[in-house]
Amino acid sequence: MPGQSFHFTPALPLSAQPLPHLTFLGRAGFSGFPSPAQDYEPCTLDLNTRLVKHPTQTFYVTATGDSMEGWGIFEGDLLVVDRGIEPRLGHILVAMLEGEVLIKRYSLYQGTPHLCSTHPHYPPLPLEGSDCKLWGVVRAVIHEYVR
Amino acid sequence: MIGLVDANNFYVSCERVFQPHLEGRPVGVMSNNDGCVIARSAELKALDIPMGTPAFKLEGLRQRGEIHLLSSNYELYGDVSARLAQLLRDACPEIAPYSIDEMFIYLDGFTTQQCEALGKQLRQRIRRHLGLPVCVGLAPTHTLAKLANHLAKQDPHYEGVCLLQGQGHTTEALLKRTPVGSVWGVGRRLAERLAIGDINTAWDLRESDEKWLRKRFSVVLARTALELRGTPCLEMNALDQPRQRIMTSRSFGQPTGEFAEVHNALRRHAQRSAEKLREQGSMARAVMVFLNTNRHRRDQPQYFPQALIPLHSPSDDTRVILEAVRQGLEQIHRPRFRFMKAGVMLLDLVDAKEHQLSLLHPPARDRHPFLMATVDQINQQMGQGTISFGMTDAPAAWQLRCAHRSNRFTTRWDELMKVGTHPGAVAAAEAKEKAKQREQHTLASAKRRAQPRA
Repeated sequence: MPGQSFHFTPALPLSAQPLPHLTFLGRAGFSGFPSPAQDYEPCTLDLNTRLVKHPTQTFYVTATGDSMEGWGIFEGDLLVVDRGIEPRLGHILVAMLEGEVLIKRYSLYQGTPHLCSTHPHYPPLPLEGSDCKLWGVVRAVIHEYVR
Repeated sequence: MIGLVDANNFYVSCERVFQPHLEGRPVGVMSNNDGCVIARSAELKALDIPMGTPAFKLEGLRQRGEIHLLSSNYELYGDVSARLAQLLRDACPEIAPYSIDEMFIYLDGFTTQQCEALGKQLRQRIRRHLGLPVCVGLAPTHTLAKLANHLAKQDPHYEGVCLLQGQGHTTEALLKRTPVGSVWGVGRRLAERLAIGDINTAWDLRESDEKWLRKRFSVVLARTALELRGTPCLEMNALDQPRQRIMTSRSFGQPTGEFAEVHNALRRHAQRSAEKLREQGSMARAVMVFLNTNRHRRDQPQYFPQALIPLHSPSDDTRVILEAVRQGLEQIHRPRFRFMKAGVMLLDLVDAKEHQLSLLHPPARDRHPFLMATVDQINQQMGQGTISFGMTDAPAAWQLRCAHRSNRFTTRWDELMKVGTHPGAVAAAEAKEKAKQREQHTLASAKRRAQPRA
């Protein structure tokens, strides 16, 4: 809404320092014009508020391996894992299977829930009868092209 | 109702969240500088390895892979503790962290059933959302809540949540089999003195005459007896259990965001805490700093940070603690918040006489026991704060020996948990990494060998 200022409090990340807010409150020198943005309350976009919905339950992990490339997860990608989401079919999960933590897609295969990847070498793992435990649900993948 | 949420084997549980292969294995966490065992998993306890066992005695077992010993990873524990506190803060009307792994929750106006349901729900949520196993004790008073929590841990049929009423058969049976020394705030020496007066169990203490207790022992003990009857009368700060943790915190007269003001308050708390520490003849291994904004002001941004600073050898030196407090505050202070309360907690205390000297890190040369004793004496005689410490100078290097520390999974970008996309992916990547290092190593040594000849 133009002309109206929002008071906006970003959800707070636990440990990361929020991005610094830009301040438009200064004047452009004593002889110039006052900044036209003066009346707008500064609220820089904070990626945390977009990607981290539950700061206490969100953890970051690094992906290793090539078998999820079909779902856009590459070696070394940063995953935003939310432990507070209930898993649903189609979600990408971080799950514990036989003492190992794995990234897999939770989906139906031949009518029963399986943990699937996109690599032909790794067949879907049936959930029924396995000791699989959920660790968290992947909310976002961050792939950095320039490091 | 008051609840006590206490994590089971907190340090080990934190490690297991990020290293699930440690689940079901005997795991121990060592003190700073890898001196001795300070936290044990249930499996390690079952092997009859007592608390405080020097790490070198277990080296054989560790190398054979029978047990896992880890260096303490305070950054991880501190972060998980902050998450636990925040989770409880979101779910309960009022909470008070009591130590790194124990939090009191205050459930005023809830019915018994509601309390029990909430306790169960919290236990499940903490397990699911943070990966921590916790037990919840619920009771009308702090002292009973502590006992209820103990019962929830010991007796599996409670499934981790135990509610004790002030009156009732369960409470009576429990108190009758609880030795008086296990009651919150009753130390070993006090228990011995009580035994002379034929008070052996918690029930005996509860049934004792309050006036007699006050006259013979102390007001605090008389209040403890009342608490066992279900009458709340102890403030959380009234009972600083010796040898576990020391906390000093206070609300500001005016909420403030000024670094200098917050720092000054924390410095005061740190000096007071250090005094208490020396009074009971202990040394601290870690210092926790925390800040609270006013949570009742919904219109203001909220922030409840805490920072944990490990000390490189146990210390009771005010100057060392002040330095740690400064570091902690610099980590967590954000100027745009107005803080209501600040506090300093000294953690993982050891007996000053018994503590193990580190071979690699001899106690700092500038340790002056007489200086501290003199300062304490003057302050006692002439009044609190007659002598206080000015700003300490340049930061000391906080280098710790931590050969077996796990990664700081939640506080460092380059130490995140690695998760494979298929079984064996992480192991393969690690093997590759190692091979690369070995190659570089051989390359470097070949170069070195080649050079002199040339």
